[in-house]
Amino acid sequence: MAAKQALRVGTKTVRPVLSLNQAEARSRVLNLYKAWYRQIPYIVKDFDIPKSEEQCRAKLKEIFLKNKDVTDIRVIDLLVIKGQMELKETVNTWKQKGHVMTFFKPTEEPKPKDFLSKFFSGLD
Amino acid sequence: MSFFLRRTLGAGRNLGRAVLNNNQYSGLQRVATKTDQATPQAETRPTVAKFDPLQKSQLVDFGKYVAECLPKYVQKVQITAGNELEVLIPPEGVIPVLQFLKDHHSAQFASLVDIGGMDVPSRQYRFEIIYNLLSLRYNARIRVKTYTDELTPIDSACEIFKAANWYEREIWDMFGVFFANHPDLRRILTDYGFEGHPFRKDFPLSGYVELRYDDEQKRVVVEPLELAQEFRRFELSAPWEQFPNFRANPAAEEVVNKSEDQPKKE
Repeated sequence: MAAKQALRVGTKTVRPVLSLNQAEARSRVLNLYKAWYRQIPYIVKDFDIPKSEEQCRAKLKEIFLKNKDVTDIRVIDLLVIKGQMELKETVNTWKQKGHVMTFFKPTEEPKPKDFLSKFFSGLD
Repeated sequence: MSFFLRRTLGAGRNLGRAVLNNNQYSGLQRVATKTDQATPQAETRPTVAKFDPLQKSQLVDFGKYVAECLPKYVQKVQITAGNELEVLIPPEGVIPVLQFLKDHHSAQFASLVDIGGMDVPSRQYRFEIIYNLLSLRYNARIRVKTYTDELTPIDSACEIFKAANWYEREIWDMFGVFFANHPDLRRILTDYGFEGHPFRKDFPLSGYVELRYDDEQKRVVVEPLELAQEFRRFELSAPWEQFPNFRANPAAEEVVNKSEDQPKKE
């Protein structure tokens, strides 16, 4: 049983969440990615969202790549668990259209970066 | 003139009574602080809980018994608020201790009343998970406390208490403590797509997002919220004294403490 074995993080010995080594954590992440990827056509159809499959795939990739620098195995595991829960909520349509569309954030205005746009938006 | 005199006299009498009352209260408090005194004075105020020395001695004995039966897991046994027995255990002891308390013939804590959580960010293990148990057979309650941090999973108590299912989901949702081997761990209170765990002390009071109805989208949209919030200092003790009556009373009296040689919890 995986949970009974110990995991070393830095100098500490800790209890693992799911995975015992980097490779196992990586395969869990890839499995989750594939599960989402295969679900995308059904998500587009079921929720009737104004997005194409390509856009959804790009968004999926973007969301996964947001955490690409996470190295701690336990943090990866917890992110995978949360992603799994999100997927379940989506597949069972516990989520509604609005919840799925929050991944895309269409109403959010990007923060002004350069001087002129900061000036126009009234920030300092 | 005489009316005025009577008024002042009456006030003086009232004052005298108030002083008397004060004396009486301080005397009672002294009794309450020294619970091991030979003849504790009987509590007469109707709104104050009666102190039951027999019940307390039974709880102390039971606490010692639990510590003797489970020396591997029980780090400390204490009594708080006069008659509330608490057993402090490390996270790997949740299953055996709860199983023992449920199935032992002279315990029979067969009912799980609640599972609570507590977040103290300054500790090494910042979360405290608190199991409240009730024994209907012996009309007694016990509290089992354990600790964890954000990444360490705790064994789910679902296989012992069916009631633990939703309580653990609540702890997961509010604090983000992961329960291993839980049959159905998912959110229970927050909205789908909600990010973060609201009962953590580092969760901002205003939350991270705000929701509004958008006319163009024809649906509710979620937008990030920006409110300036000062850096929060986790000053848990107030500058003033909250319970002067309990000044001399320690919050918890130790019954058994085995954590001298082990890493301390706090």
